[in-house]
Amino acid sequence: MSDGLAVELRQVVKRFGEVTAVESVSLQIQHGEFFSLLGPSGCGKTTTLRLIAGFEMPTSGDIIINGEMQGHLPPYQRPVNTVFQHYALFPHMTVAQNVAFGLEMKKVSKDEITRRVGEALELVHLGKMGSRRPKQLSGGQQQRVALARALVNRPKVLLLDEPLGALDLKLRKAMQGELKALQEQVGITFIYVTHDQEEALTMSDRIAVMSAGHVFQVGFPEDIYENPNTRFVADFIGETNFLHGTVHRRGPLAEIAIAENVILPARWASDELPAGSSATLSIRPEKILIASGDEKPPSDGEFVSVPGQVAEVVYLGTDTRYVVRIVDGVQTVVRVQNLEMGNKRFKVGDAVMLHWRVEHGRILKE
Amino acid sequence: MSSESITQQVPSMSRRSRWARVKKSMGEFSLSLYGWGGYFFLYLPIVILVIFSFNDSRSTAQWSGFTFDWYGEMIHDSQIILSLWNSLFVAVISTIISVVIGTLAAMAMERHVFRGKLLMDAVLYLPIIIPDIAMAIMLLIFFDISGIGFEPWKVSLFGIRLAVPYSVIISHVAFNISFVAIVVRARLAQMDRTLEEAAQDLYADTWQTFWKVTLPMMMPGIMGGALLAFTLSLDDFVITFFTSGAGFNTLPVRVFSMIKKGVTPKINAVSSLMLVFSLALIGISLLLRKGGDEEPTIGIGL
Repeated sequence: MSDGLAVELRQVVKRFGEVTAVESVSLQIQHGEFFSLLGPSGCGKTTTLRLIAGFEMPTSGDIIINGEMQGHLPPYQRPVNTVFQHYALFPHMTVAQNVAFGLEMKKVSKDEITRRVGEALELVHLGKMGSRRPKQLSGGQQQRVALARALVNRPKVLLLDEPLGALDLKLRKAMQGELKALQEQVGITFIYVTHDQEEALTMSDRIAVMSAGHVFQVGFPEDIYENPNTRFVADFIGETNFLHGTVHRRGPLAEIAIAENVILPARWASDELPAGSSATLSIRPEKILIASGDEKPPSDGEFVSVPGQVAEVVYLGTDTRYVVRIVDGVQTVVRVQNLEMGNKRFKVGDAVMLHWRVEHGRILKE
Repeated sequence: MSSESITQQVPSMSRRSRWARVKKSMGEFSLSLYGWGGYFFLYLPIVILVIFSFNDSRSTAQWSGFTFDWYGEMIHDSQIILSLWNSLFVAVISTIISVVIGTLAAMAMERHVFRGKLLMDAVLYLPIIIPDIAMAIMLLIFFDISGIGFEPWKVSLFGIRLAVPYSVIISHVAFNISFVAIVVRARLAQMDRTLEEAAQDLYADTWQTFWKVTLPMMMPGIMGGALLAFTLSLDDFVITFFTSGAGFNTLPVRVFSMIKKGVTPKINAVSSLMLVFSLALIGISLLLRKGGDEEPTIGIGL
C-alpha cells in the first residue's frame, strides 16, 4: 500500500526461447481502476496478464501487486484472481462448488462459504443456478459464474482475459455495461485484456495500447483516441486518414507538405523532426468538414482548408462517407453525420473544400 | 432419397440414371451382406458355444435337450472355483498396480518433455504391438534368469486359500500398463489445461490442483483403462501359461487343461460365464463413458 498502486510493472521482459513476447513493459495501475490492455492478437497483452497472475514468470523486471514484490510467487500465492477467456469452469462441479472453490482452498468456514457464495451468485444474477452444472448454462451465464468465482475471493486485482470474446455481439454489448457497473459496485481494480478497441474505449478508465510486446501509449480513452502518439495507435484505434509528406517548417505548429503546393499546418504528436524529414499527418474522418467552394469555415478557431474533388459517396445510415481526392494519389475519407433526411449534399465529381481545426491534425513519425 | 425421386421425373436421363440406381442399390446390398456375413462368421461360434452349454448330453455337437446341469457341475468343481478366484485376484491386483503406474506414465508423457521421451514412448506401447507369445517367452526367461517371482503370494479369501506366483502378477502388470497409459493419455490430451490454471488461480497448490481438478477430470479415462486392464488380465492365457510355473491355474489356463482331457459342455458353461462377465464390463465402461462428462472418452476403444 506504500506507493498507492494496485499493480506496478517495472521493465518486465518475457522471452519464450528466441521469441520475445513482452519487451520492457512498465505500467502503473491505480487502485479501483478499470485498466485495459489493448492490442492485436500476438501483441503480448495476454502474456502480460499471465505474468501478473503468475502463470508465467518474467525473464527480467519486477511485478509489484499491492506494494509487494511478486518475484517468482506461484499463482496460488498472489492476491489476484482471473476470469479466463473460455471461463475454465470445472465441469465436474456444480456452479456453487465452482464459486466456493477458492474459499475452500483458503479454509474459510463452512457458514461463511455458503453465505459468500450466495452473495456472489446474487451479484451476477444467478441466485437460483447454484446446483446446476456449468454445461447446463448458456455462454453468458457461464461467463457470470466465472466472474462470481473470481469476485467471491475479494481479490485486490481482478484479471480478465478477453472475457466477452466468446459471446455473440448483442450479449457482448449487454455484458460490457454490466461489467463496468459491477466494477464500480465492488471497487476492485480490473485489468482487462481485449483486442476490441470499442470495448476498451467504452469500459476503461485508462488504456494501454500494445503491439509487438511494447506498450505504445497509456492514457484515458479520449486521450488515446484524440491524441495518438504513434502511427500504430492512430491506426489501431478508430479510423484515420494518413497523409504522407515532408516536414516543411518546424516550430510548435509545424507545416507538412503533402504535395508540391499543398502545405498543411498541424501539431506534433511526438518529438519535433528536422525540416525535410518525412512524416505523416493524421486526421480523423469525422473531424473534417466538407463544404462547397464558397462556404467559409466557422469563425471560431483556426482552420486548415484544402480543396478537393469527391471521388466516392457511401450512405451508411447514421452518416455518409465521402472519399475526397486532394491531389493525384492523395485521398482522404470524410464522415458527415446525416442530420438532414436522406439528401446527399455532394455527388461524385463535385469540387469541394475540406476544413478542419488545426489542432485536430497530428504529425506522426514515419 | 430425394435425388432418386428427382431423376425419376426427368425422362431424358431415366435410362442412364436407372442403371446407376440399380448399380448403387446392388452395391449397397452386397456391402451390407458382406458386413452381416462378417458378423455372422465371428459371432455364430459364440452363439453355438452358449447354446451347447445348456445341452443335456456330453456332446458339444448334438443337441439333445435343455439343462442347467453343466452350470451346477461347474459350481461344484473346486478346481474351477479355485482358478476363478485366482483369475479375479490376479486381475484385481494387476489392475490396481497398472492403473497407478500407467496413469503416472500417461501424465509424464503428455505433460513433460524429457530426455529420451521418444524412446520411452515407443517402449511404453511395445507390449500392445508385440505378439503375446514373444512377450511370454521374454518374461519367462527374465524370471528364470533373475530367479525372482515364482514363489507364491499366499492369501486367504472367503475361506479359500490362494497361492498366486508374483511372476503372474508382474507379467500382467507389464502388459496392462501400456493399455492404461494409452487410454488415460487420450483423456489427458483432450483436457483443457486452463482448468488447472484456474485451480491454481483459486489458491490451490500443485497437490490440491491434482486431487481436486486433474484427477477427477482424468477419472473417466482411468476407469476406462482399469476396465480394459481388468478384462485383458482376466482373459489372458498365453502369458499366464508361460509365467505361472507348475500347479497354478487361472480360469483360461484351467479351461485349457480341461480341454486336453476332452471337451464337455462344462467348458461351454465356463466360457459362457466368462463371456457374460466380459460383456458386463464393456457395458459398464460404455455407461461410464456416457455418464462421464462433456467430451466423449476413449473407454475400451481397442
